[in-house]
Order: sequence, then C-alpha cells, then structure tokens
Amino acid sequence: MINRRAFMKNGAMTLFAAGLGGVPSFVTYAANSNKIINPYKKNKILICIFQRGAMDGLMAVTPYTDINLQKARPGLFMTPAKSEGSIFDLDGSFGMHPSLSKFNELYKENRMAILHGVGSPNKTRSHFDAQDYMESGTPFNKGTESGWLNRAVGLMGHEGTPFRAVSLTSTLPRSFYGNNEALAINNLQDFSLKISGSNSAVKNTTTSFEELYDMTSSEILNKTGKDSFEAMKVLKSKNLKDYKPKIGVIYPNSQLGNSLKQIATLIKMDVGLEVGFAESGGWDTHYNQGTTNGTMARNLTDFGDSIAAFWADIDAYQDEVTLMTMTEFGRTVHQNGTGGTDHGRASCMFVLGNDVKGGNVYHNISSLAIEDLEDRRDLPVSTDFRSVFSAVASNHLNFNNPNILFPEWDGAMINLMRS
Amino acid sequence: MNSKVLILLFIVLLHITTFGKPNPIIYKTRLSFPYEQMGLTKRQAAVHLLNRFTFGIKPGDVDMVLDMGLEYWFEKQLSSAQPESELAANLASYDALKMNEETIINSFLPQFEIRRLLKSEGVFMADSNFDKKEYKAFIDSFLKEKNIRLPAEYQRQLINQKILRAIYSNNQLTEVLTDFWFNHFNVSLSKNQCAMHILSFERDVIRPNVLGKFENLLVATAKSPAMLEYLDNNYSISFNNEISKNELNNRIKRVAAKAQAPFQDSGVINLIKQRKSQGLNENYARELLELHTLGVEGGYKQKDVTEVAKIFSGWSVVPLLKNNDGRNNFEKSKYYNIEKLGFVVDGSFLFRANRHDDSAKTVLNYHFSPNGGYEEGLKLLENLANNPATAHFICKKLAVRFVSDNPPENLIKKMANTFLKSKGNVKEVLTVMVNSIYFWDENSVRKKIKTPFELTISAIRATNATVKQPYQIFNWCNTLGQKFYYYQAPTGFPDRADYWVNTGSLLNRMNFGMAFSANKIPGVKMDSTIINNNYEPESLDAAIIGISNSILPESSTPKNINRVLKLVSGKELNDKLTQIVGLLIGSPEFQKR
Repeated sequence: MINRRAFMKNGAMTLFAAGLGGVPSFVTYAANSNKIINPYKKNKILICIFQRGAMDGLMAVTPYTDINLQKARPGLFMTPAKSEGSIFDLDGSFGMHPSLSKFNELYKENRMAILHGVGSPNKTRSHFDAQDYMESGTPFNKGTESGWLNRAVGLMGHEGTPFRAVSLTSTLPRSFYGNNEALAINNLQDFSLKISGSNSAVKNTTTSFEELYDMTSSEILNKTGKDSFEAMKVLKSKNLKDYKPKIGVIYPNSQLGNSLKQIATLIKMDVGLEVGFAESGGWDTHYNQGTTNGTMARNLTDFGDSIAAFWADIDAYQDEVTLMTMTEFGRTVHQNGTGGTDHGRASCMFVLGNDVKGGNVYHNISSLAIEDLEDRRDLPVSTDFRSVFSAVASNHLNFNNPNILFPEWDGAMINLMRS
Repeated sequence: MNSKVLILLFIVLLHITTFGKPNPIIYKTRLSFPYEQMGLTKRQAAVHLLNRFTFGIKPGDVDMVLDMGLEYWFEKQLSSAQPESELAANLASYDALKMNEETIINSFLPQFEIRRLLKSEGVFMADSNFDKKEYKAFIDSFLKEKNIRLPAEYQRQLINQKILRAIYSNNQLTEVLTDFWFNHFNVSLSKNQCAMHILSFERDVIRPNVLGKFENLLVATAKSPAMLEYLDNNYSISFNNEISKNELNNRIKRVAAKAQAPFQDSGVINLIKQRKSQGLNENYARELLELHTLGVEGGYKQKDVTEVAKIFSGWSVVPLLKNNDGRNNFEKSKYYNIEKLGFVVDGSFLFRANRHDDSAKTVLNYHFSPNGGYEEGLKLLENLANNPATAHFICKKLAVRFVSDNPPENLIKKMANTFLKSKGNVKEVLTVMVNSIYFWDENSVRKKIKTPFELTISAIRATNATVKQPYQIFNWCNTLGQKFYYYQAPTGFPDRADYWVNTGSLLNRMNFGMAFSANKIPGVKMDSTIINNNYEPESLDAAIIGISNSILPESSTPKNINRVLKLVSGKELNDKLTQIVGLLIGSPEFQKR
C-alpha cells in the first residue's frame, strides 16, 4: 500500500503544479463527513496549550477543604454550594472553578485528568525564565537550544509533512526551537503570497521569491524560506472554506479560540499535523483577580470554552488527539494587597484525550499550612512538570526515550495514560 | 623640455588647481572608526553605520555621510540637535502631542466616563426618549462643545507619530534609541489603566533621557504614571507607618472617649478590614530587578524582591481625571501642607507617606534605615543603576541591538567598564561600542534581522515614499508580528533573528514588498521617480542595477539575483520595475540591516 504520508505530500505538490485546479473529491468528501472511514493508520496528534503569565492553579482547581487556603485568601476563596455558579466538586477535596464548567462532563467521562502541584524544580519566579525552562525542558540549563516539543518530533522516527509541527502563534514558541521542521502560523488564511496580475506574473513572482530565498547566504532566511514555500503549496492544494467548525460548535472569539479552531481545521484537512501548539494570555493576575466574576473567571471561561469547542469540533478524530495544558508557575497561596496574587511556585495542568486515565486529580499535596509551603508562601512543587510531559508525549506519540526528551532528568513518569 | 621641468610644471599646476577650489570643510572629531582594519571600504562602513543607527537609508544618505565623515556624522547624531522642520510639518495636525498628561486624560474619555460626565452635567437622563440618530447627534455635539474625544483617537495619534518620527526625523539615533529604551522599559496599550499615560511616557520620560545617564532614565520611569500603572505599583501600599498608626489610634481613642467599645465601632472595623485586605504588590519590584537593572542572573533573591516592594510602597500617581472622588480628595489635601508629612508631589507623581512602609530594609547588601521615606527609593535606584550586574546587562542589550544577536563578551566588558566609570553615560558607552573592531566585524555587518517596524520604515525611506495614512503601516507591522505599543509582557519584544523570522511572517514580508511597490497600501505612495526619472531606463538591466543600488546600497547582490529579477513579467517596463522594487523589498537581503 502506498505510504499515506508520501501520498499526501506528493498529491499536494501535483495539485499545485497542475495549476491549483479543483478540489479533489476525496478532500471534499472528507470535509463534509463527520466520520471518515480512513483506510490508513492515523498518526497521533498532541496539542499543547501554554497559559502565559502563570495561572493561579489554586483557584482553577481549588483544594476547598483546606482551611489554610480560606485564611490566606479570604477574598478569593470559593466553596462548593448547591447554587448555580459554584465550584464543582471533583473528589471531595478539589473543586473545579465554575467558569470551567465545560470540563465537568469531560472529567466525569474519565477523559480529562488534572495534575496538581506541578511545576519546575528551578525556583525562579520570573515569567520569562520559567517559560524558557519549561519550554526547553531543561530547568537548570539556559544554553539548551532546542525546545522539548521539537525534540519530541525528532523522536517519532518517521518522516513528516511541512505541517507536522504547527504553532498557531505569530512567532515560533521556544518549545518548537530546533532542527526539526516546525511552523508558526498566525492565521491560515494569511498563509499565501498575495500577488496581483496575470497568472504568469503570479507564477514568475513566486518563483523569483523562491529563488531569492534559495540563494541567500543567511541560514535562517534560507531555511525558513524553504519551509514557507513548501507549506504554502500544501495549503494551497486544499480549499480552506470547506473546513468550517462542526455545526453547533462555537469557539470563543479569542486568541485561544481562534488558534484551536485553526488547529481543528488542520486536523480535519489531514495535512499531517502531529504536534500543535497554542497560547492563552492574561494569567498574571496581580490585581483584582475576582472569584466567580472578574479577570480570572473571564480567562477561565475562555480557556474552558475554547478547549471544549475544540474537542467537540474534532469528534471524528478524538481517538488520535491528546491535549495538554501548561503554565510557567502558580501564584502565592495568600492574596496580595491588591486583590490578586503574586508569583508563586506550583500550579495545575489539564490533560484531555481518550487514552488518558481521566476522572482523577493526580497530586502529592499535603496541606497549605504555612510550614508546608515553599518559602512559607507558595504551593510547593510536588510533581516535576517533566514527569507529566514525558508520560503524555511518549505514550501518545509512541516513543520511549524520555532521556532524550528531557536530558539531565531521570525521574519517573506519571502513570496517567492508557498504553 | 626635459623631464624634470615637466614634473615641476605638473606639480605647480596641481597646486594651483587645488588652491583654486574652495577649501573642503574639515570636521574635527576625536573618533576614528576602525573599519579599514576590519576590511571594509569607507562606503561600506557608511552603509553599515546608517543601517545600525537609523531606521533605513534614504537615497543620498550614504554620500552625505561620506562627505561629512563617518565619525562626525555619528557625533552629530549623539548631539541630537539637527533641525526638524520636515518632521514638525508632518506632526502639525497631531494636537495630543502638545498636551500635558492631565489634558490628555481629560480630553480623551472612554464611553463610561462620557456617560458619567453627561450625568454629572445634568444633560443626560436615563429615560430620555431620543431615537438613536438624534441621541448620537446630541452626544456628538455635546462632546464637540466640551472638546472631548474617544481614546481611539489618542491611540491613533500616538501610533502615527512614532511612524512619522521614524520616517522623517533628522535625529535618527534619538528615535532608534527611543524605540530601544521604550522596549527596555516596556509599557503597553493593552492595559487600560496605563494606556493614557504612554504618550507622555515616551515623550517626557524616555526621549529626553535616551542619550543621558541611565540613572536618570531609571528614576524617570520609576516615577512615571505609565510604569506605576503598568506594573501595579500604584496600588502597592503599606500601613506600617506613623501616620496610619496614629489615624487608627486616634479613631479608637475618639470612640473610647464616647464610652463605646472601639472594636464594635463600624468606622474602626472598616479601617482594620481595609488594612487587612490591602497591601504590597511585588510586580514592579521584581521587574525592576529582573528586567530594568540587574538582570535575572543579577544575584537577587525572593526576599530582596519583597524588600524592594516595601521601598516603593506609596509610590503612586496623582489622580488626574477631574471631577471624581480621588481627584477631589487630592485637591483638598493641598491645603493640609502634606509635604510636611513626607508626601512628595512631582508633576503627576505622588509619594503617599501614609501608604509607605517605614521599617528598615535590606536589598542585596544595601541597608536602609527606618523612616527613609521617598528618598530611600531614589537611593535604591541610584545603587541599582550603578551596579556592575546592571552595567553588564544593559551593555549586552545595547550590543545585541547595535552589533549582533550574540555580541562578543570582550565587547560587552569594555562597554560595561565605560558604563561604570561614566556613571551610566549612554553616549560614552555607544562611542566605545562604535570605536571597537567588533562593531565592524563581518559577524556583525548585515547580520541583524530587521523588525517589522524597521522593515516597513526602511522601505518607505529607501523609496522616498509619501505617507498620508501612517496607521496603515501599523496594520502591516501587526500582520508581520509586531503590534508595537501593545506588547503585553514587561520584557518588551525580543531582539533576535529567530523571533522575527518564521514561516508565516516571512511570506507576509514578501507580501508587504509587493503591496508596497504596487501602491496598494492606502495612503502610502512610493515615489515613482525612483523607477522613472532617476533611472530613465535604457534597458531593463540598467534599471535593475540602478534600483538595487538605491534600495540595497553596497550589498553584495550576487549576479544571479539580477538574473532572477529579470524574470519578472509585465506589459510595460514600469510594471516590471514596480515588481522589481517589490521583490527587492521582500528579498532576504532587505530583511537584514
């Protein structure tokens, strides 16, 4: 049987060469059908969402039975109640913030796992440094050039398409730095050369640009140029308009919502996506964080609704996809002087997928009594982020070498995936 | 005639000819740039200098610098005293640029403030049965009469002026450094509380200090409303001071005097409640150490951050919006001689002595005695500004901007020494940098990738384009990944090639080149003389050479680039030339500076 990947790649090129003719019937068929019977074995897809700014994990998934938390943050504390809009009790000690209510079903269906007390062994409370360490995957080495997701791509042991690793951001995230091909696209629709004039003018200008970038002595411009042209051609062979969200699925009109909508499009277009990346911002809640209303609640609503919409949108592909969220650190246990929280240590993360052992809050948190806190102020890191990242990536993407993924780390993976 | 006589005659003639010419102006300069040593011709060196210290080379710039002398040109840029008549004409219609901070805040009001104003003026009633059109016309005339506009207009003026300054200013180094220091002390339009202060921040805090002492810049930013709002320091307070203690004690005494239980009195309870729920915010303290001065490896600990936050507790902003409680209270306070209590009012900066932590503090190894008030903040800033870690951190950042993404450690050390010796004199640090061989090294020349802002502005300058709608350039920068003034994180935009060059943005850079050259960007028109008059094309070849020399002077454009350019199609020669300009601007060579 013809290798599907090679077929995709060659097929796309042929279409382009043939002058971008009509959309082939199999593509249209795929687009219009919810359940595709695909004769080829599908690749697994890992989607990572970075919550930049450090999400307050103690508010997103709150250990509501701990009296210390109530004392430390009287203005931010929440408990489960019978009324609407209160936290959802997960296991008798943790509760899901009401703005994440779309997660409740996924959790109950055992598709979503929550990991709490997660963070980096490096104690930095600098956003930039902590993100850098988390994305390089080496918390004590600034010099690591590659990002952990780029290394993961290299470990998969097969060729990929130009759309193998795609970040829906305007610039390439640190996680994607490295030798393996990775794309940053802010908007799929922008991903083309917009040249006016006759067909031959368009063709000539495209060729000219391609040659100019092929010739340049600048390595970064040369390599990125090649990637750009190749990806553009693949995308051009598909008709973007055929890939609308599933009926009834509404994405929030936000950065994260738009990114996940486009990741879903790439998945449904079958252009070979294996690792997707998106970002969500605004988590640095130093000021008036709020509880059921306010900054934090708005952020969580966007976060939860975007992910839930994405999951519903890709229903035909759910078996292939695992989604994992991450944030650089958590926030202080006590509230600060301006109704918010300052930079802390551990936070929580969410992992969603059909091969996730969900319906469970994985944690080693004892209590939030001041003597149990890190520096007497922060939720200590009791789970190394690498023990989660490696478990999810190596199980889902099917490779077994976390030491390459995370050099200088020999900890144990958390057993949260069905393999 | 023998040969000796001939030679003599020749020498005499030569003498007469030189004598007859007007004396060339000799500029005196203490500098001597070592570009020859590094294998560059004078012309190549002039191009490099312009590429690094301007927003792009205009036709004629290279010859101007050569005539003047590279060193002298640089010194003139350091003096920042070139006349600005062209720029002034372009900025004439931007009235917000001339307003002080208070006028800005009160002239550009968001919707909810407008509603509040309508209410307070008694001209608005909730049950008014205007229809929509009538209502809008009424509001419009009211706003016009009061000379009030929406914040969007202020933001438009702010954004446009940056673009116009970059294009037209003759003091290009000042504009480049304004961009650099703004990014170093980043604040963001994306945060509402800070947005209305940004125009003044750039104009009054950053630009006047870009070539001065670093400490002045640091103090000015620390006291600026934009920074105080952006990093939440305006809300970072402490009740650990005599004024607050007395306030509570007096109230308790008053209640007790009335023979009531003080801790059942609602006034006392509220006061205690308030003091429990309000306090320090570490945001500014941390970024001051990490991003503004020492750098993340500057050797400070979490405890230092908390101590710094205490030092800056009470550093806040004068309430500038008129007709509200905060403002009214502030105006009343003027009659109470608050300076005597340790308050400081300096422009729109306000040190609130009754919200400052009076205890003793220690930051790194600097000790601060109790009751240090406002002065201890200045003392800390002075110490930080002149700390060796700061010198290294700042000099590295300057070298990354002006030399290369990975500047040699030797250069940084040299600059840092000068920084410490000169107490942070930016002019001297820059001079040492340009005087060093590293600046002229082949690892530096044409190795920096232009930011989207640098790309778009340099395209406009290279082609003498006229810009009637500068905002269109902002939109393009946004598409290319640089929504300037909106970068959310206090780090500012990263300054390295791989941040700006990625697959999506690269295609858009090419698209920009094509849209620009085809005059498809509304209100931006390329001067067609660059392809017509200047190079009345005898042939396509001649035109290509002329255009590429003009847009990419002294770049070693390989011959096959010209071959590629010749491939362009088009009915008229002009169509072809337009495309060639677009290809050049979208080309890899033009992405570098």
